[in-house]
Amino acid sequence: MNHHLSDETVAGLPLSLGRAELLEEIMSTPVLDDRPVATADRRRSRWLVPTAVAAAVALLVGFGAWWGSGFGPSGDDRTGQVATAPGPETSFRAVLDAPGWTVDNVYTDSRGGELSYVNGDLSFEINWYPADSYADYVEDRRHITDPPSDGEPVEVLGLGAQMWAYSDLDHTAIREPEAGHWIEARGDGMDEAAYVALLGQLRLVDEHAFEAAMPASYVDGSERDAAIQQIIDGIGEHLDPVIPPGSQRVGFSSDQNDPYHLGADVAGAVACEWLADFDEAHSAGDQQRMDRAAAALATARDWPVLQDMEERGDYAEVVYDYADQVARGQVPEGYAEGLGCEG
Amino acid sequence: MTDGREETFRRLYAEHFDAVLGFALRRTDRPEDAGDVTADTFLVVWRRLAHVPAGDEARPWMYGVARRVLANHRRGDRRRTHLGERLRRELAAAVPDVSDGVVQRADVTAAMRRLSARDQEVLELHLWEGLEPREIAEVLGLTTVVVRPRLSRARARLRDLLGEDPGNDPGPPGHDPSRHPQLTRKERP
Repeated sequence: MNHHLSDETVAGLPLSLGRAELLEEIMSTPVLDDRPVATADRRRSRWLVPTAVAAAVALLVGFGAWWGSGFGPSGDDRTGQVATAPGPETSFRAVLDAPGWTVDNVYTDSRGGELSYVNGDLSFEINWYPADSYADYVEDRRHITDPPSDGEPVEVLGLGAQMWAYSDLDHTAIREPEAGHWIEARGDGMDEAAYVALLGQLRLVDEHAFEAAMPASYVDGSERDAAIQQIIDGIGEHLDPVIPPGSQRVGFSSDQNDPYHLGADVAGAVACEWLADFDEAHSAGDQQRMDRAAAALATARDWPVLQDMEERGDYAEVVYDYADQVARGQVPEGYAEGLGCEG
Repeated sequence: MTDGREETFRRLYAEHFDAVLGFALRRTDRPEDAGDVTADTFLVVWRRLAHVPAGDEARPWMYGVARRVLANHRRGDRRRTHLGERLRRELAAAVPDVSDGVVQRADVTAAMRRLSARDQEVLELHLWEGLEPREIAEVLGLTTVVVRPRLSRARARLRDLLGEDPGNDPGPPGHDPSRHPQLTRKERP
């Protein structure tokens, strides 16, 4: 393959006739189906969303992959922990109970969740969604094939499901709704037989069992306030006061369970406060206040929470970059969006 | 209504044709195949026009479609339409003559082949299409919180293979990436 051409080079290729002809050809074809996706699910009704699956009680397997080093033991401490058998009303989440697979990422919110596992180069991702989005997702997945078609019938956690193949080594299955939710599971890097075998190792869990199945570093609701305070204390060792004088902020909060996302919420909130302070001072031409904010942000590289997050993603790097820009007297463009600042 | 539909499609076609074709050319061995992928991708856009997100989200959405179309082609699915025959011929004649204007160095390409398919795909979207994590997430149907660490790890692995940071010298990306990082983490409804 020698066609790693830039788009600019592509634009310069002599293709005008073919390009124009294709446009007219396409518009002469009938429109088969153009049912719009419900607005509320726009961001999640994608063509290639991974997905789905499964079920019941949580036995812990190794969690060595969880946030690299420094967070939590290997997981053996919870191995064998069995949660209370869940009732059907609340057991819409699924976990994978298979040797060799470790939790790589977890994200939950009020509408659903996402849980990914890795095993070497293999990955397995579980998503659960509210039942009202089921039809849209099935319709999207039907277009994995051309022409669109229903998936191969399979059983997942005792319910009917449809399975499609993105490739020989990449499969997804959508399970019928139950308990107000439906599940999709996607396995990448394995053939169909291995994928189906993993589907059989899913377990439905309620919230309690789900939390029990997470790595030791998972921050559940009862641990969250203390975790937030620990983050603030760590920042406070290098930055006093932690937030600018005159700030209207009253405490810090987060609904995240993953240490990385929790850290981003809290450290991001502190950074946002100082960036906003710098922004206001810059607009007002208040050099002294600008210097104070710049000095505060210059401590970011010492914040333990950001140091812990460096290995897992780019959030810390972005905060450092903003601090550097502020040190140069610049208001970082788009910082509020970049860090997810409130308001 | 029909006129509005055609007008919308013409606009999308004009705005994104080069990007979609570039996406396909960078991932296929034969330029004619890239023509097929482009034709099939825009056929999907035409048929599912109401699904195309507005604004900046349109291109990642189209990349996502093109990715699926490409996967079908790689599986050996026979082309079911006869659209774009002239484009195929023009591509077959034009692309082999092009030796400049590539998106990355040969050594980076070689190193990327040594990565896992998953790492490769994330890096390709970042280095070739110039996409930020939020946009990559849209293409892959994942959330940004999943993509960001995956991309970071993939970059680190490539950096280890090359002994340098590939992101500093990938050559010009497919289109201008965002000027600032997109780390919005609350994209879920």
